[in-house]
Amino acid sequence: MAGSGKAHLRAADEVLVRVEDLVVEFPAGRGRTVKAVSGISLDIARGETLGLVGESGCGKSTTGKAIIQLPPPTSGSVHHGLVDLTELSGEAMRRRRTDVQMIFQDPISSLNPRRTVGDIVAEPLRVWGPHGRDEQRALVDRMLEAVGIDPEVARDKHPHEFSGGQCQRISIARSLVVDPELLICDEPVSALDVSVQAQILNMLEDLKAEYGLTLVFIAHDLAVVKNVSDRVAVMYLGKLCEVAGPDALFAEAAHPYTALLLDSIPEPDPTVELDEGLSEGLELPSPIEPPSGCRFRTRCPHATERCAAEEPQMRRVADGHHVACHHPLVAVAE
Amino acid sequence: MSATPSPSGPVGPLLSVRDLGVTFRTPDGDVRAVDGVSFDLAEGRTLGIVGESGSGKSVTAKALMNLLPSYADVEGTITFDGRDVRALATARERHFWGVELTMVFQDPMTSLNPVKRIGEQIAECLRVHLGRSRRDASAAALDLLERVGIPEPRKRLRQYPHELSGGLRQRVVIAMALACGPRLLIADEPTTALDVTVQKHILDLLDDLRRERGMSMVLITHDLGVVKGRADDVMVMYGGRTMEHAASGPLFTAMRHPYTSALLETIPRIDAAAHARLVPIAGRPPNPSELGPWCPFAPRCGSRVEACTVEAPPLVDDGTGHRSACFAPLGAGEA
Ligand SMILES: Nc1ncnc2c1ncn2[C@@H]1O[C@H](COP(=O)(O)OP(=O)(O)OP(=O)(O)O)[C@@H](O)[C@H]1O
Ligand SMILES: Nc1ncnc2c1ncn2[C@@H]1O[C@H](COP(=O)(O)OP(=O)(O)OP(=O)(O)O)[C@@H](O)[C@H]1O
Ligand code: SF4
Ligand SMILES: [Mg+2]
Ligand SMILES: [Mg+2]
Repeated sequence: MAGSGKAHLRAADEVLVRVEDLVVEFPAGRGRTVKAVSGISLDIARGETLGLVGESGCGKSTTGKAIIQLPPPTSGSVHHGLVDLTELSGEAMRRRRTDVQMIFQDPISSLNPRRTVGDIVAEPLRVWGPHGRDEQRALVDRMLEAVGIDPEVARDKHPHEFSGGQCQRISIARSLVVDPELLICDEPVSALDVSVQAQILNMLEDLKAEYGLTLVFIAHDLAVVKNVSDRVAVMYLGKLCEVAGPDALFAEAAHPYTALLLDSIPEPDPTVELDEGLSEGLELPSPIEPPSGCRFRTRCPHATERCAAEEPQMRRVADGHHVACHHPLVAVAE
Repeated sequence: MSATPSPSGPVGPLLSVRDLGVTFRTPDGDVRAVDGVSFDLAEGRTLGIVGESGSGKSVTAKALMNLLPSYADVEGTITFDGRDVRALATARERHFWGVELTMVFQDPMTSLNPVKRIGEQIAECLRVHLGRSRRDASAAALDLLERVGIPEPRKRLRQYPHELSGGLRQRVVIAMALACGPRLLIADEPTTALDVTVQKHILDLLDDLRRERGMSMVLITHDLGVVKGRADDVMVMYGGRTMEHAASGPLFTAMRHPYTSALLETIPRIDAAAHARLVPIAGRPPNPSELGPWCPFAPRCGSRVEACTVEAPPLVDDGTGHRSACFAPLGAGEA
């Protein structure tokens, strides 16, 4: 992650999706590449919510999109059950996509303004569903109801006639209409007013229980991530720093970067020890030429020569709590 | 109309706003964006203005800065250090904006010229507003960049805005806003577009600068956490109106307005357990077309009484400078 490694992965039969050594690179001109995601391994157990946090540009959206093969990663595997999604043909993946859905960052602008809400929600069924028209319509109505939108009122209207929170509900309805197993939500509440945010977060929890959903929840707001997650993965510059249950992560952050994030929350939690010396090195390094060794070392108050020379590997701190750091803030269980 | 705003300490207020109203005359009809806002701000203090999107925070700030478009009708008075600034007429008098009163916007590129070097932009500020010489201005620009914590300031002077990260650009904008030594700085969501790690540095910087220069500040944000502990006074806006206004301590510990309380309750807390059930506020914030002469929060309010939907509650001072506009304020039954 900050390091690499797979010590945090669980047994294959416990997980719904397993991502290994995921690499996503983009051409950046003059023969250079943006190393957006550099060897991330993650797994998601059935029925679990995995929270993905980190600063802007650390590769959260890229990771989410690589899981649904949009675009397929540069290398690495994404196993959904026994199938490696990266090896599927375009057509086979399209059929699979009913199982794995993603709500993209800023869905409000991604709803087609010229189509009616009924058509928008039905769209995934048109492409992938075996249903007839009446059946489709009934399904769409049921999904709109489930997200708290009155289908009678909304069906023939256009997105601009709805508020941001309502558009977010509509895009959730659209992604659930094909009954997916895994739903990847990319910043689903960051564009919403806080008085509406709680409605959507509670609704996601309810839908998750009702439909047996597994969620990946991408966000930069740590309090939101803590609220929804069963497991949290902290990313930094295309790498993974720490993976832990939400309560453990916030109570005893083991990675200096996690500590920095927690320390930056405007309403500081008095129980979090302030880590002195974190004021230097404001700049996020370029993902084109990331630092050697631990990618966080240029901003890390604990960095040593070893951090520049050698990439830290994931190590166990406690059950379900792993960190990739040479000098973790919590002792590792070797 | 509104009660007398809170007394602001020994030195009379630097800024005094009375019954500020802003109506946009648009082709689709009138938009009442700000309605009857009054407050005082004393020298050296920070006022946090908090509210959700569309509550009228930026329009209030732009009214203070005289930046509203010509189709905006502005009512009320704005007094700065005893001067009625809406009556300033001559170019010389109007110099006041940009010198004594300056503003930092959410998007730093609003204030930066993309095709001019950073150093030239700051120096220009100093030359135009303070009449400094070219050489003087460049030296001062370097000092300012150092002061706002920009690494390698000499190199940055020669760079263009696009060569800097969002956080550094915002620091440059702060340097420009400080260049002429303003007495009041209005910062409108100065960190909303930035990462939390950068946000903290920028807010700390603004705090330090304010203290060191005895400047006053209006800090606008939608994040109650940002003003908590940083603002001396907090004003909560909703639907263009002031819901509650008090010193920061009582506002958070003895809030009187149901909206302030609902807003605090609905935000996920970092110190709550994972999966703690959130307390949503039903419905959504109003569009300007849904506003009228009643309490803008009434449709969503759990404490609503009949009067709330009939007329707008006046902003009442409880005698300690804690003002709230509600017919059924919290804690009213007690004592
Ligand atoms: N299509 C692309 N072409 C080139 N670079 C890209 C592309 N998509 C993403 N990147 C780069 O990859 C890195 C990771 O981007 P990504 O969008 O995944 O970050 P993120 O963590 O989702 O950030 P945010 O919080 O801002 O949404 C960034 O440096 C970004 O500029
Ligand atoms: N130039 C304008 N013409 C017409 N209406 C406007 C104009 N500027 C703002 N408004 C309206 O005035 C209301 C208040 O807007 P304002 O920008 O002050 O909100 P805000 O509290 O700053 O919100 P945000 O948190 O989104 O910045 C909104 O309903 C907005 O649509
Ligand atoms: S101590 Fe070293 S390995 Fe750990 S985060 Fe800091 S730089 Fe990285
Ligand atoms: Mg993203
Ligand atoms: Mg605004």
